[in-house]
Amino acid sequence: LSKGSPIATEWIDTIRRRVLSGEGMIYIAFVILIIVFSVSSPYFLTLSNFENIGRQTALVSIIAVGMTFVIVSGEFDLSVGSVLALAGVTSAISMRLLGDHWLLGAVVGLATGALVGFVNGFLTVQFRTPSFLITLGSLGIARGFAMMLTDTRPIVITNEPYFKIFGEGHVLGIPVVIAWTAVLMVAGAILLHFSTFGRKVFATGGNTTAARYSGISTYRIRIATLTLTGLLAGFAGVVLSARSHAARPDVGAGLELDVITAVILGGAALSGGRGTIAGALIGSLIIGIVNNGLVLVGVDSSLQIAIKGFIIWIAVTARRQ
Amino acid sequence: VNGIAVAGRSARPDKGEENMRKYTRHKGRTVGLLGALAMSIGMVAGAAGQAHAGSCEIANSLDPAALVPDGIVGGGPFGESPSTVDSVKLTDEQGEAARAGNFRVGVVMQTMDIDWSTLVVAGITDTLEKYGVELVAVTNPSFRVDRQVAQIGDMIQLQPDAIISIPVDNTATAEAYKSIAEAGIKLILMHQVPQGLTYPDDYQAVISPDNQGNGQVAAQILAAHIPQDGVVGIVDFGVDFFTTNERTRRVKSWFAENRPDVTIKQVDFVDTTRAGDAASSFLTANPDIDGMWVVWDAPAMQVAAELRAQGKDIPITTIDLGIQAGVELAKCGLVKGIAAQQPYDQGVAEAEAALQVLLGNQPPPWIVLPAVPVLPSNLTESYRVVFHEDPPPELLEACKAENGCM
Repeated sequence: LSKGSPIATEWIDTIRRRVLSGEGMIYIAFVILIIVFSVSSPYFLTLSNFENIGRQTALVSIIAVGMTFVIVSGEFDLSVGSVLALAGVTSAISMRLLGDHWLLGAVVGLATGALVGFVNGFLTVQFRTPSFLITLGSLGIARGFAMMLTDTRPIVITNEPYFKIFGEGHVLGIPVVIAWTAVLMVAGAILLHFSTFGRKVFATGGNTTAARYSGISTYRIRIATLTLTGLLAGFAGVVLSARSHAARPDVGAGLELDVITAVILGGAALSGGRGTIAGALIGSLIIGIVNNGLVLVGVDSSLQIAIKGFIIWIAVTARRQ
Repeated sequence: VNGIAVAGRSARPDKGEENMRKYTRHKGRTVGLLGALAMSIGMVAGAAGQAHAGSCEIANSLDPAALVPDGIVGGGPFGESPSTVDSVKLTDEQGEAARAGNFRVGVVMQTMDIDWSTLVVAGITDTLEKYGVELVAVTNPSFRVDRQVAQIGDMIQLQPDAIISIPVDNTATAEAYKSIAEAGIKLILMHQVPQGLTYPDDYQAVISPDNQGNGQVAAQILAAHIPQDGVVGIVDFGVDFFTTNERTRRVKSWFAENRPDVTIKQVDFVDTTRAGDAASSFLTANPDIDGMWVVWDAPAMQVAAELRAQGKDIPITTIDLGIQAGVELAKCGLVKGIAAQQPYDQGVAEAEAALQVLLGNQPPPWIVLPAVPVLPSNLTESYRVVFHEDPPPELLEACKAENGCM
């Protein structure tokens, strides 16, 4: 192919469109960050450090799966950090009061998350109120309940299988929290990108009116996506309490912003109708790599916050070019 | 509204029927997916976790009484000499006078969302009740400066005789605290003094734990676990806050004076929910760490979780006896010792100081409660001292005599 031929031009344009001017920018940013930190610290590019990053980003990644569905469907969920805390608390309390079994704790934690998510969805569609506002209320209600149920004190968990299954075990040599993240990512990706439900989610967020005329119950879809996010926030609460050997009512404050940042960094449109699970994972890993790399390099903690903000600026503006 | 083009591209609403035809295929995939999830749970359930053999041999060899500092270690923010809580104890006569005074006292906290605040307020409430003093209100600004400033204004409107308060910060709240004296209301502070306030015109006493004493106790316990020429990792709060600054300052100075062979390395966290992440990366960058000191108990437990995840058995000491850190200490886990505050007794001293002022007596400017060393051998007793209640069942269950826990 000679330079300037129509085929070559088209080929170059395609590359530019796919990689440089679209969501590909985030993958380039990801690779650049890895290269920069690998050069800056001899500890960065090691298996154990990548396990660190995987563990550190697990909670954000797990909830980001659900948040991608929510944002693609044109909604928003600000309550995930509080739901995570409440689910951990109800899980720990159920094991304390009803029976010290890991399955009971997990089911109660997941059910708590799903219930709050369902209520978020129901109120959003029933009262035609933006989910942003409904979940702003849930953020306070869930946190308040977590505080009240525990009297602000952490609840210690002593169930060893619970720790191993959700927090500290290993599967084929991989830390179990990373294994769970991977399983949920794959499941989420299949559900969003290769199922009828996923297509309905895209349709709901892309153009609700058109989706409704084509026979999609956009109400149900929006309730389902918010319930799914609640469920996954509940799961993250179970994971965190298993890692910590306790449920604390104050955990997860501000986590919703990290989750939303990850999903948006990964290419999702705030207006709905666009987003990928893989992008959300990369977004989450970028936040984790920046957090990890800046500590490894020894950057001052206050400066770290500013640098993270700048990196988000660069990533989101580069995507728009 | 802006999604019509997007819908045309990705959602294909006109192909709803075709989508439905595909439904059964996807249903099959979903069943397969659930199967994979179930298998994952099975694999995980069978997975072996990493074992951490707990040991508190070294901690058990320490005598808690010998760790108590001689007197108060740290001075006040303006170099004031420390006084003990005995300086504000009410005599029987003063108690009677307080009962007859029909006093009203308000409390403005920094937060009510943590255990420490609950205990302080319990100490204040019980003491005021004992002397028949009305508690007009307890406010909770949830660590927000703007809310605290507003609540100080609200409290002044309630016209109490005295306000007991802990400032969220030293600068932004200063004007609001000055207005308390201008309204003719007495002020008893906890821990720190907002900028520009003078003793005894703007405030009449500060009640504080011995922050440096706590740092010293935690450093001493940790030092017993550190080999010659070892390395200590400090996990500090990266925000300029008098209490945590004082703790860290004394940990460093104690090691410099008593264990100059030890190298100190440090990582700071700003987000209190992310101390574990900072410590995890710090441990990766510093594989030579022999022991960790964490500035208070909640982040210490995050650090413990990271150590477990990394399969490292590194001793931790910290400050403040929380239930979670207490259980970790009881079972000879990663936490080897704790320097505790006495929040309930601090609340008692604050209420008594307020009453002394209202009775016309002037308390000293800087009143300090000593550090309480907590080791497995005095854990349950220390719990009673700190919380003024019996230890909860989970602590007693974890506390095994064969581990030296009592």
